[in-house]
Amino acid sequence: MPSSATPQSLASSVPPLSIGKYPRAILHIDGDAFFASCEQSRDPSLMGKPVITGKERGIAASLSYEAKVMGITRGMSLREIKKVCPQAIIMPSDYETYSILSKRFYEIVRRYTPDVEEYGIDECFADITGLRRVHRCSYETIAGKIKHDLDSELGFTFSAGLAPNKVVAKIGSKWKKPSGLTSIQARNIHLFLGQLDVSDIWGIGQQTSAFLYKHKIRTALDFAHTDEQWVRKWTAKPYYEIWQELNGRCLLELNIEEKTSYQSISKVKTFTPPSTDKDFVYAQLARNIEAACMKARRYDQEPQEVSFFLKSQTFHSRGVRVKLSRATAFPHEVIRAITPAFEEIYEHGVQYRATGVHLSKLTTIEERQMDLFGVHVHAEKMQSLYGAMDKMRTKYGKNTLYLGSSHEAHKAQQHDGERGHETRRKQNLLPGETKRRRLAVPMFLGDVV
Amino acid sequence: MTKNLTTFISDFYEKQHKMPSYREMLKASNYKSLRTIKVKTDKLVEEGFLQRNTKGQLSPTALFHAIPLLGSVEAGFPSPAEEELIDTMTLDEYLIQKKESTYILRISGESMKDAGILPGDMALVERGRQAKSGQIVIAEVDGKYTIKYLIKENGKVYLKAGNKKYKDIYPEEELKISAVVTSIIRKY
Repeated sequence: MPSSATPQSLASSVPPLSIGKYPRAILHIDGDAFFASCEQSRDPSLMGKPVITGKERGIAASLSYEAKVMGITRGMSLREIKKVCPQAIIMPSDYETYSILSKRFYEIVRRYTPDVEEYGIDECFADITGLRRVHRCSYETIAGKIKHDLDSELGFTFSAGLAPNKVVAKIGSKWKKPSGLTSIQARNIHLFLGQLDVSDIWGIGQQTSAFLYKHKIRTALDFAHTDEQWVRKWTAKPYYEIWQELNGRCLLELNIEEKTSYQSISKVKTFTPPSTDKDFVYAQLARNIEAACMKARRYDQEPQEVSFFLKSQTFHSRGVRVKLSRATAFPHEVIRAITPAFEEIYEHGVQYRATGVHLSKLTTIEERQMDLFGVHVHAEKMQSLYGAMDKMRTKYGKNTLYLGSSHEAHKAQQHDGERGHETRRKQNLLPGETKRRRLAVPMFLGDVV
Repeated sequence: MTKNLTTFISDFYEKQHKMPSYREMLKASNYKSLRTIKVKTDKLVEEGFLQRNTKGQLSPTALFHAIPLLGSVEAGFPSPAEEELIDTMTLDEYLIQKKESTYILRISGESMKDAGILPGDMALVERGRQAKSGQIVIAEVDGKYTIKYLIKENGKVYLKAGNKKYKDIYPEEELKISAVVTSIIRKY
């Protein structure tokens, strides 16, 4: 079992913030350098080497620990990376494989408890309260078993934090990385907060930490020791909740429900080389709108508002928000609605590099109202038309059928040069697989001799 | 009517990857009460089409996934075909025991030729499984995957090829076993 690191340096003169061990037992688990690890774990020739994913975006999205040691940071451009570390292995993100492994990650945790919150592609919370008898062992041992299963079955390491609540569990999983397991009992929380900056607490952003600094609250322990009345008076509710969790209470429940609807939907895509061709930029935008609308329809939702932006090569963005006269998730209607605004903000001669669309104020389709002018009847017809289109796309691939407006974007390769390189999984098709459809089983890569 | 309900459930499941709620089933059918839905779904459970967990939540069974056979699930006396179906499994279930730790790979070398494993074959492998002597494993040697028999003899551990032309591999340090081979697939 991995041992839990307890900070020794802090004087025991500080009184504990809370008593007891685990009134609740919440686990936070985080994949170490998740995307880069997915790549390393399927190809032994990448082990121990600086691996970076995000080639298609032109920046480092995820980096292996070896790459971090070389001084590469997240968000660094490809050109800079090559300067800092010429031997770095840069590869395009293979989201297909990452999401399969992410699902497996949640499933393995669910072997131990049904209460799992899928917090991000590479992290989750799990509530293991009351499961000691079922698994016949302590909470620490359960956490250790989960970590062991993950490490051995997925082929790379995870870091975990066990604590009486989410905020402290998050501190635990960050405490020792990579491959750490840190258990923080309620009565030991204070030992971990002394050296932790307030800005490192989950949920405390720049604005709040700047405000807290002004009141001489620098460490997480300072914040936990702040007078309750003061916290209630001067900070918003989420921060009061964090304050309570730092003091050992458990307020933030796990959100274990599967996502069935969205607040908003965005689709953004960059393309290289940048373009001054108006039709092409328009088609790129149309394609994003199509993709966003398709996602909305999948969840039976329709936006009442649509905003979009065009980003130029100099990273200037211009955007417009358009209110729709009636909610719709039919792309041809959305495109028609935003076209005048596009004409207005599009500048001739400017090199554009990205377009994006954001659907907001989503309503569920059942809420649609009847109207006097027969639009309703028309909408029903459209619904069956797009229903058929969606069915074809699920069966034959996402890009089998698209609107004429998006054609220019579909016709061209999204990226030129090395940014357009395909993922290794797509280069290693099994017999019977196509570029559009592959087995949902992760693949070991490289020669197997 | 059960037939319509099953069609609705399987369509819903295919589209949304989850079971419809009783309310959703009620809405889609012409039944009038949730009670009826309960009775009807109980019947589907009895027929082996759905299953209930201890919390009473519904989930599909292997039979559910055998979509072309749905037509045979109808009220009335059981057909012999249906009786047999309850004991069948899908090809996925047959080949994959532990879904979360199964991976696929393609063989490129000839070192396991005599074991009937040829270049171009695909192997399903399981990660994190304790390998026993005599099993075919994927090991990591010099930054490369290799497929060999794992042999444990007189306290020694080594890799043996299924081809006389290849020498046994004795690890200098610890032998890194990445996975255990569970099946070989050859597609023509």
